[in-house]
Amino acid sequence: MSDQMLSPDHPSVVFACRNLRVFVKDGDNEKLIVRGVDLTVRRGEKHALMGPNGSGKSTLAAALMGHPSYRVEGDIWLEGERVDTLEPHERARRGLFLSFQYPVAVPGVTVANFLRASLAARRGAEIPVRAFRQELNEAFATMSIDPSFITRYLNDGFSGGEKKKLEILQMLLLKPSFSLLDETDSGLDIDALKIVSEGINLASGPQNGLLLVTHYQRILNHVQPDVVHVFMNGHLVRTGGMELVSALEERGYDWLADEAAVAEGSRA
Amino acid sequence: MADVTASLIASARPALDEGLLRALAASLGEDAAAVQRRLAALARYEAADEPDRVRHLWRFTNPAALLPAAIGTAAAGGAPARAPRPGDAAAVIDLWPGMAPVLETAPGLPEGTIMLAAGADAGAQPATDLFGALNEAAWNAGATVKVAAGARLAGPIHVRVHAAGPAALPRLRVEVGAGAEASVVEQHVGGGPDVRVAGRTFVAAGAGARVRHALVQVWEAGTCGHLAVETAAAADADVLTVCGVFGGDDTKLEVEAVLAGAGARSEIIGVALVAGKQHADVHTCHRHAAAHTASRIDYKAVAGQQARSTYTGLIRIDDEAHHCEAYQENRNLLLSSRARADAIPELEIHNQEVSCSHGATIAPVDEEQLFYLESRCLDPREALGLVVGGFLENTLARLPDDARAMVESFVGPRLATIREGTA
Repeated sequence: MSDQMLSPDHPSVVFACRNLRVFVKDGDNEKLIVRGVDLTVRRGEKHALMGPNGSGKSTLAAALMGHPSYRVEGDIWLEGERVDTLEPHERARRGLFLSFQYPVAVPGVTVANFLRASLAARRGAEIPVRAFRQELNEAFATMSIDPSFITRYLNDGFSGGEKKKLEILQMLLLKPSFSLLDETDSGLDIDALKIVSEGINLASGPQNGLLLVTHYQRILNHVQPDVVHVFMNGHLVRTGGMELVSALEERGYDWLADEAAVAEGSRA
Repeated sequence: MADVTASLIASARPALDEGLLRALAASLGEDAAAVQRRLAALARYEAADEPDRVRHLWRFTNPAALLPAAIGTAAAGGAPARAPRPGDAAAVIDLWPGMAPVLETAPGLPEGTIMLAAGADAGAQPATDLFGALNEAAWNAGATVKVAAGARLAGPIHVRVHAAGPAALPRLRVEVGAGAEASVVEQHVGGGPDVRVAGRTFVAAGAGARVRHALVQVWEAGTCGHLAVETAAAADADVLTVCGVFGGDDTKLEVEAVLAGAGARSEIIGVALVAGKQHADVHTCHRHAAAHTASRIDYKAVAGQQARSTYTGLIRIDDEAHHCEAYQENRNLLLSSRARADAIPELEIHNQEVSCSHGATIAPVDEEQLFYLESRCLDPREALGLVVGGFLENTLARLPDDARAMVESFVGPRLATIREGTA
């Protein structure tokens, strides 16, 4: 189990945030979306984040990656270092990864050229063509993606399932120390869900961690999180294990609304 | 107000007179007929109206900024050093203001395959517009390149057109004989502060000829100019015109391609990359003068910082030109909120049995694309480079491999400097 009292720069902690608040522009004003989140993920841990639509889960994930639309207050720690002042590419090079809920298409840029540039940036060295090709072929086989996608334009005309598989393929290649997986299971059929889940498990190890944002129990049966958080109205209102997932499947989120209100009150 | 504008341009128009033109002709060793052509053009130059800035073709560019302050007769500078002939080139021609053209052919090229003549007036329609008449009267670097009928050139003909002195007025004519295949790369190089260029290029493709003509402008900063290209495709000829605008300050490039013979095909592929305060004003016209002709235009512009791109494109189908196909596409990518693009497509169709379409877009660079790429470890400059490269990709993919490599050799470095300024 995660320990919120553990110092964020403790060697066993791979990722942490403290009193994270995320603001988004709302006309001339700012709107507070994430209202003070504390999270500690130890090496080897998988965390799940569940919550109703509109609770701010995707905002939280994008803001942790450094999306320019958001203003962030609070600390973000990756492998014992503050990363909240870093640009997105600097966070990524240090090992932070975001699997997008809606991966963006970049027409005219082939998957191969993109991945080669991305891997070279992550590893700090160009990768010889032959070695790269072999690595790519293996990863495509692992994720059951047709090798013809290597020469297609990035996410351009890909189905929802193909996009999500390519996200996890990137996770496998980039070997991040901490991954934010934003509804990676949405829009997947049963077979694709299995492949994506296996990819996530393959990319997980004793040294890294992940936060899986989802609405559904299905992927959690495959990925088996160590810790489950419920996120409502910008707060983490409950933290537990898989039993919490079952309770949510049975009872929905309403029964936690009171806790959300309490959390709101305690922050006010 | 209109009168004031007209007088400002009139005062910017460089002075020409018979004595100057005779001296210019003498310095280039021209015959009496050539002098008479210059003098006839002088009369048209003096009678030419100023470009009408109320109409869209000149609304975005001030002609006064492109005109040279004065026309001289002396060669600009001493004997210039020539760059070596690129290994794959069938021939290299250097055009310097005030000097006779210099041709160097690849060893082993059969005699008579490529012929060079000074001057470029044979066959040209008399120009009545200000820039055209100026060039015709006072051109100071001219060449006619003839490729023999049926010839198949293994490599391109490189024409290096040097901008120098206060006024460079190059005039190039390329005649490709019936059934021949030729590729001509016209590179506009050199220039500097206060250098002005008024250039004209004519490309005539004989029946069944296949001609590739690339015009690439890579002037030094400070250079401004007006470049006009006219191509004429005879029956069943196939002409590809590639345009690249990368350098200089203000450029107006006008390409008029005439599909003169039945079954002729013309394609124009253009790319402009501008930044700083550069302005690229490109006009294309595909004129279908014969039946069963086909044309296609794909022009893409990328504008960074405070740069501005203007595109006006006309497809004209003449009365008799039935069963034609014409397509025009213009896409613009803005890299900064201060960059600007204008796109004005026009169709003028006089025959109903045709298929014509066009499309134009102007869009800022997609911030979500950049964030996605940056989240994959690419720094903002690398991410922007990929997005811009992707934007140009399907246009460059239409080029033959060697033409693509040539254009990319200019796109890459230009993009690097634009990214430096944008990041």
